[in-house]
Amino acid sequence: MAIKIQVPRPTKMELSRLKKRHKLATRIQKIVKDRLSLLIMEFLQTVKECAAVRERLLADFSEAYRAYSVAFGYHGKAPLEKEMALSEMPFTVSSGTRNVAGVKLPFFEIEKGEAATAQLRNRIDGSSVLAQSIEQSRKCLETIIQLTELQNSLDLLGTEINKVKRVNNALEFIVIPALDVTIRYLNMKFEERDREETARLKYVKQLLERKEAHAY
Amino acid sequence: MPTDATKKGDTPAEVYLYNEFRAINAHVPRRRKSIEELLGESAPQIDCGDGSTHFFRKKELHLLADMLDDEERKDFMLPMLIEVSSRDNSYAVPSPRGTEAKVLSKICGTNLSPVMNRVTLFKPHLSVIRSSLKTCTQYIFVA
Repeated sequence: MAIKIQVPRPTKMELSRLKKRHKLATRIQKIVKDRLSLLIMEFLQTVKECAAVRERLLADFSEAYRAYSVAFGYHGKAPLEKEMALSEMPFTVSSGTRNVAGVKLPFFEIEKGEAATAQLRNRIDGSSVLAQSIEQSRKCLETIIQLTELQNSLDLLGTEINKVKRVNNALEFIVIPALDVTIRYLNMKFEERDREETARLKYVKQLLERKEAHAY
Repeated sequence: MPTDATKKGDTPAEVYLYNEFRAINAHVPRRRKSIEELLGESAPQIDCGDGSTHFFRKKELHLLADMLDDEERKDFMLPMLIEVSSRDNSYAVPSPRGTEAKVLSKICGTNLSPVMNRVTLFKPHLSVIRSSLKTCTQYIFVA
């Protein structure tokens, strides 16, 4: 049950102030509710994307593992390790933030450079098997970065949804009902005062009439 | 301390409600940039009202640039603002020159024509648009 707000003096001015606050609170609650529904929509979309990327990452990992096994069998341990140590993956990851309905989400973008496989092909001890394994590991890294962004976004969106839900619940179940109850209480108080006033006037009128009757 | 929207006589509860109202739209960009301007930057970004920076994905910018001609690229401002109205539960994108309507129609795969310079969207449209233009669109809440 909603608790009445303590009003210093039950006056019409206080009532109009409460009505203004009620209007504002209802407006904000509507907007907060809209924001909540949008955040939930974004969250669900991110969940779907996250699941898809996770599946892709698993497939990429198994592919990379297969490619490495073949390269390991073809070259042997020492040459493979040497090639791996020498090969580089020339790409840059730029990071920043993107804003979704007031939530700052991480943003990673991969910019590809010259492929490492092209460098490998030029070397004498390089092979297509090795190039393929490097290409696969590069793919894995890209997917990991994508998954990192999505997973982090998911966490932040979840936290924000909780916060917005709390604000929405506070407005919907505490602030607005309390204002409703107080406005109703003040209205009743004024009506009661009006009724008392009418009764008093009637009584005075009766007294005057009686006085007039006795005067004659 | 009273803010611009609040008055001197307001109670703390009223000040809080006004501030809540302001905080909802704090992420709106200070200045929007044209797609041509953004494509020229090495890290396309804009400053938001709350002091944060919003980055654009280059892939999305190129997708939009492919849909537009040279003249439209100069006028097309990003991010596209999706107005969320709590009064009638509708979503709309302002489209003064009709370029936004053209882009959104291509993305959604339906004909979206502007009515009184605004393209009205529905929730299914919204999820399609947001999934393909994550960084090029932003929400703005209208009371």
